[in-house]
Amino acid sequence: MRLTISLALVLLVGLSSCAPNPQPLKKQLTLAVVSGVEGDALQQAARDYEAQKGVHIEIATFPYTNLFEKELIDLKARTGAYDLIMLDDPWFPRFANEQLLTELTPLLEKRGQSGPDSDFVDTSVALCRHPYQSGPLYALPYVGNSQLFFYRKDLFEKYSLKAPETWNDVLAAAKTIHEKETTGANGNRIHGYVMRAAQGNAAVADFMPIFWAFGGEMFGPDGKPAVNSPEGIAALEFMIELGKYSPAGYASFNADEVGAHLLQGTAAMSINWPAWISSFSDPAKSKVIGKMEFTTLPGAQKPGQAEIGNWLIAIPRDSSNAEDAIDFLLWATSAEQMKRSAQRGNPPTRKSLFRDAELVAKNPAYPAQLRSLESSRPRPRTPYWTEIENAFGIFLSKANSGTLSPAEAMNQANAEIEKILQRAK
Amino acid sequence: MNHKGTKKTKRDFLSVLRVFVVKNLRYALLLPALLFALAPVYWMLTISLKTEVDQFATPPPWFGFTPTLAHYYDAFVTRSFGEYLLNSAIVAVASTACALVIGTLAAYALARFQLPWSLNRRLSLWILSTRMFPAIVTAVPLFLMMRDFRLLNTRASLIIVYTAFNLPFVVWMMRGFLAELPRDLEEAALVDGDSRLGALVRVVLPLVAPGLAATAVFCLIVSWNEFLFALVLTQTDAAMTLPVGIAGRVTQFEIKWGVMSAAATVAIVPILVFALALQKYLVRGLSMGAVKG
Amino acid sequence: MPALFIAPALAVLLSLSIYPLIYSVTISLQKETPGGVVWGIGNFARLVSDSFFLTAMAHTFVYAVAALTCEFLLGLGLALLLNSQIRGRGIFRASLLVPMMLPAVVVGVVWRLMLNPNFGAINGTLKQLGINTESLTWTASPKLAMVSVIAVDVWQWTPFVFLVLLAGLQAIPQEPYEAALIDGSSRWQTFRHVTLPLLKPSILIVLLLRTMDLLRVFDQIFILTEGGPGFATETISLYIYRTAFRFFDFGYAAAMSFVLLALTNVISAIYIKFLQAKEEI
Repeated sequence: MRLTISLALVLLVGLSSCAPNPQPLKKQLTLAVVSGVEGDALQQAARDYEAQKGVHIEIATFPYTNLFEKELIDLKARTGAYDLIMLDDPWFPRFANEQLLTELTPLLEKRGQSGPDSDFVDTSVALCRHPYQSGPLYALPYVGNSQLFFYRKDLFEKYSLKAPETWNDVLAAAKTIHEKETTGANGNRIHGYVMRAAQGNAAVADFMPIFWAFGGEMFGPDGKPAVNSPEGIAALEFMIELGKYSPAGYASFNADEVGAHLLQGTAAMSINWPAWISSFSDPAKSKVIGKMEFTTLPGAQKPGQAEIGNWLIAIPRDSSNAEDAIDFLLWATSAEQMKRSAQRGNPPTRKSLFRDAELVAKNPAYPAQLRSLESSRPRPRTPYWTEIENAFGIFLSKANSGTLSPAEAMNQANAEIEKILQRAK
Repeated sequence: MNHKGTKKTKRDFLSVLRVFVVKNLRYALLLPALLFALAPVYWMLTISLKTEVDQFATPPPWFGFTPTLAHYYDAFVTRSFGEYLLNSAIVAVASTACALVIGTLAAYALARFQLPWSLNRRLSLWILSTRMFPAIVTAVPLFLMMRDFRLLNTRASLIIVYTAFNLPFVVWMMRGFLAELPRDLEEAALVDGDSRLGALVRVVLPLVAPGLAATAVFCLIVSWNEFLFALVLTQTDAAMTLPVGIAGRVTQFEIKWGVMSAAATVAIVPILVFALALQKYLVRGLSMGAVKG
Repeated sequence: MPALFIAPALAVLLSLSIYPLIYSVTISLQKETPGGVVWGIGNFARLVSDSFFLTAMAHTFVYAVAALTCEFLLGLGLALLLNSQIRGRGIFRASLLVPMMLPAVVVGVVWRLMLNPNFGAINGTLKQLGINTESLTWTASPKLAMVSVIAVDVWQWTPFVFLVLLAGLQAIPQEPYEAALIDGSSRWQTFRHVTLPLLKPSILIVLLLRTMDLLRVFDQIFILTEGGPGFATETISLYIYRTAFRFFDFGYAAAMSFVLLALTNVISAIYIKFLQAKEEI
């Protein structure tokens, strides 16, 4: 008797979970977004769209590290699960190269547009084309991040330091602050600099601007890897020099540790993304309200160039709702909607919004951001970027934790990148 | 004469002291172990109740902070953790039930019937060996399989996979328990005209109930906490489970510790309640002979 | 008759393991080139010269051996302590079981926060005790990262070892102890010659299960360090995951998994040999 009951229960539970999702009576779109402020803004936009147009939008949120894998496996296996996906721009070449995305220009033409309108920042739109800048359009840019340099203007005033324009300025300032500020808030010292050097995306993203400023290039004119050039090694040596004035353990820091240090006031300078700026004025998070200043990246042998890091939105090739998806995409990237997203803390990708009086009042760093964005450059647009970033990141992390010397690290990194490109052939 | 007397009292005192020290030595050793085991869980609980400034403050306030329920609200009202909780519950219970039923049947056969070609030993070893393959590589073929059967992003796919995960453990555990049991009672039932299955259910199961309970707890823990397959096989909130949801709080820029801890705290409550209620069965069940393999 | 009983279990396990196995074998022997699919043992050959693979294997073994030793000794100690009638036994036992019930994701996150060199509870408390924590960067230090990761595993899984060994201890009947007492053996001798031999089945089961799981460890290391700093805590499962999901090189990942599977089989066979030997006695 009991057995029959338990078997019946099991069957019931099993059946209830197998029940197919009820066929939606209204149109439905599925979005894959990244967890965090960018994804949150898109979620909010989706809810507004649903309220306005009655199209139901299902949102799936994933952490940064897993979003790439999820999207890649779903698109390659052609499951058609997602109608719109958020892509970090370094991932874009891989997806476009393997023809996993729908070309947008035909869809735009149907709606009377020949392409993305000119209000979009050029460098952002360039990212959405494959090949870079010249090829067909496969995505539209949604979040216009490019790196900024953050520093504590109150400390700079205290020690009569001028705003940093070259990396040597940065090093000198870091040294001064580090040596003088040994008892800061809570009896903790203030570190001159903080950076993230955890292997992978963290280390590489923070290193590239220094690398470029010193004249390094990942690929030489012949297309072969050249990270172990004298300039490259000099850049890595400089990074380690800066590391001396950073909190211990920075060789494993990710964005959250860097942010925490800046917000707690225990570090004075950093490269960072504009999305953090709003946190600095939030009393629930920040102990340094009103003390941070944001400017463009310092230069060295070459003028400072920020690394661009936009979030793009694309339509997978196997989506069965491409027409509805493009409607949403155009709506979400329109000036009005993007302004809302900007008010939620996401830098826009439209020039008009960077100059919008209301937004600039709330975000005084916008002019600096626009300058940074327009002069920024992307990480190398190779489909093998994930592997290269991974390998490069490991060696950068090793050099920063002292396991390898800078020259050794760069040589080994170069060899590894060679191997990756060879395997691809 | 006194000499002898003092010596005796001294020895008595020493032995009393020795007994005292030894007895309390246990506590002296167990107490730190207990604190070590529980401190991180307590810390997680406090993080879920602290405001963000307090979370990163140094020195870390273990006790003196103003609590806030904002993170719990954020997790369960603003976000979909309620849905994740439901999915986790359904998947864990269903897969445990299936594994117990199917596994006990198989264990019974392996314990009671003498199969040819030493299949008893061979099958048991083969079943155990399915646990050895690194799950990561089976993830992709299983993903493709589920896609072809239109089971992607359903709770059913997770239930099927977790049942397969738990089966080897159930078979091994129950085989041990059942082998230990004397056959007389079943034989009696069979002679009385009962079927094999009936004998199993009516006579044997009640006797191995503690063992079943112990096995059930382990299976529930495994299914409830599983991460990799839940990540790969689910695509939207419809089927996502708690571990995936909690990992999702790791954003690119900041780990949302508050929401994550709130969700994690709620995630562990059902398991803790269930397991602690059954913990005396856990020990009794395991000691019933399963460990003899 | 027995066939009917075993059939469902076999059906489930076969269907969910046969296809993946065939798929993995097939793909490990293939290589995708622009011209099409090429068959060969290239993936396996690559293993020998891949320093990342070899390092990851080394890390996995170090991790497994260290964690297993600690978990075993601590678990045994705790089981012995709780195998007597002391006050609050139930509470101790219940609380000691808590760590293993948490999802690996949660464990990873909580410990990552606690081990944070600047804001974490561990260093914070050490600082309050007056200890200098400048160099104690835990998951960030190449020397301490492996230690930290092993410590977290010990924290989470000692309860499991403790539970199984306690059950084993409580299954031992009184007679052998009484006999030993009559014979006049010391506590240590009793432990060595009565307790340990009778505990052997539990010990071997626990070693077997933990070894299999330790060799495949993934979830908590992924969250704690993601294999860093600079590859210091990269175990074989992490490397396989990266290869499979980030680089989409399934063939190579499958090849690595087979090597791991073979090794696990060998080790398990050794354990089981001991287990079988005991039964004959």
